Amino acid sequence: MIARVFLLLWIAAALVAAFLWAPLVPVLGATTRVFYFHFPAALVTCLALGWSMVHSALYLRTRDLAHDDHAAASAELGLLFCVVATVSGSMWAKAMWGAYWNWDPRETSIFFLLLLYGAYLALRASLDEPVRRARLAAVYSCIAFVAVPFLVFVVPRLYFSLHPDPLLNTRGKPDMDWRIMACAGAMLIGLTATFFWMLSLRVRLGRVERRRERSKDAPAVPAGGKS
Amino acid sequence: MNGNLVVLGVALLTWGLLFTYLVRLEKRIRDLEKP
Amino acid sequence: MAGNASRSAAAVWAILRKECRTEWRTRWGLNAALLFAVTTLTAVSFAVGRMPDRPDVLSALLWIVLLFGALSSLAHAFVREVEGHTLTLLRLVASPLEIATGKFLFNVVFLLVIEAVTVPLFLALMGAPPPRWGTFIAVLLLGTLGLAASGTLTGALISQTRGRGALFAAVSLPLLLPVLAAAVSGTRAQWSGLDPGAPLNLLAAYALGVVAIGVLLVDHLWEE
Repeated sequence: MIARVFLLLWIAAALVAAFLWAPLVPVLGATTRVFYFHFPAALVTCLALGWSMVHSALYLRTRDLAHDDHAAASAELGLLFCVVATVSGSMWAKAMWGAYWNWDPRETSIFFLLLLYGAYLALRASLDEPVRRARLAAVYSCIAFVAVPFLVFVVPRLYFSLHPDPLLNTRGKPDMDWRIMACAGAMLIGLTATFFWMLSLRVRLGRVERRRERSKDAPAVPAGGKS
Repeated sequence: MNGNLVVLGVALLTWGLLFTYLVRLEKRIRDLEKP
Repeated sequence: MAGNASRSAAAVWAILRKECRTEWRTRWGLNAALLFAVTTLTAVSFAVGRMPDRPDVLSALLWIVLLFGALSSLAHAFVREVEGHTLTLLRLVASPLEIATGKFLFNVVFLLVIEAVTVPLFLALMGAPPPRWGTFIAVLLLGTLGLAASGTLTGALISQTRGRGALFAAVSLPLLLPVLAAAVSGTRAQWSGLDPGAPLNLLAAYALGVVAIGVLLVDHLWEE
């Protein structure tokens, strides 16, 4: 419980510091503050993706359904954080450059991640049997692993080289005052901790639901039976 | 400055709500986990 | 050792021939795919007309037409198997790798047949400038390999689910986007006089990567 309260205070403190203490980036003005949500969310999205893929591979290696629980849970959470990152990035783009969407490399990358998460979850949703679902989802995850470098790094640059937009070329690292980096880092740590907390809850929830379903499927078993 | 405080307030409130939700969810899961 | 390899090759060849023969008997999949591609092409040509001076738009349209044709047909090879309940029988006589390779080669041939019809039609209807044939064909071939590899793997997965066409499209799209982007870029480059090296490398690398991961995972594709 202490750890949870600490997390509560940590993020609250990071938010207060970000809004009241850290300076604004001159080029970005008031929209600087979106950065404290957008940047950690994007990184956590990538973390979730990596976690999901690693556990997919581990599932195929060990056939332990616990790995599948982790793969599925982190994919769901990854989608959530991806939506946060995409929406916050889009709002930022609107404030900065007047357009909600520009297909610049980073926007393109995050959109592709959204598609990938959606495809993975759609595949899972189409399967009822847990073992088959785990296997096929894991296979897809591993195939996607090959596509990710292309989707995230190569394809967006390809587009960008086709449509260089002088308006957008200022997108890069704005010069970061150390106070900004400190707050962004604090938000990142806090958000990562929150992700792992939500992940553990989601995994436990899945396991509990599976247990109840199994005990429902065996109504004739007397009280001694246990999964 | 004012708009800044409003956004900060909303952010803190959102975080507080999320935190409360997670704590309650954890309690529920813990109850469900007891056989 | 050599005996094993030639037996595997014989198995793959047999599967390929069986697929082609089955397809040819009804030609259902082929007709559907061709119809789809020609319909899309007609719609585009009707709406947009001739575009001799827009290599960027032409490249995009060409690959959209091809992509739609592929999406509508790639799942078919496996769906037919499932609906005919022949997969169990197949798995008794051939290894997963042989089955997957046979299906993959079939998909390549299938796509090439569709392209053989669609591409000339496209070039003619859209008033496209004459392509640099070497590069143009190279992009087509490498793109086809990438499409077929991704489509074969996804098809194998989807055929074991409840979903069908729409799910196949959704699930295969992230895997097909790199091919689409690189192929459009390469096709455009050869019309614009730019260097097609980068897109060609991309297409080759991606096709190779997907085939490699497919070979690694093939034993997990079908089970029980």
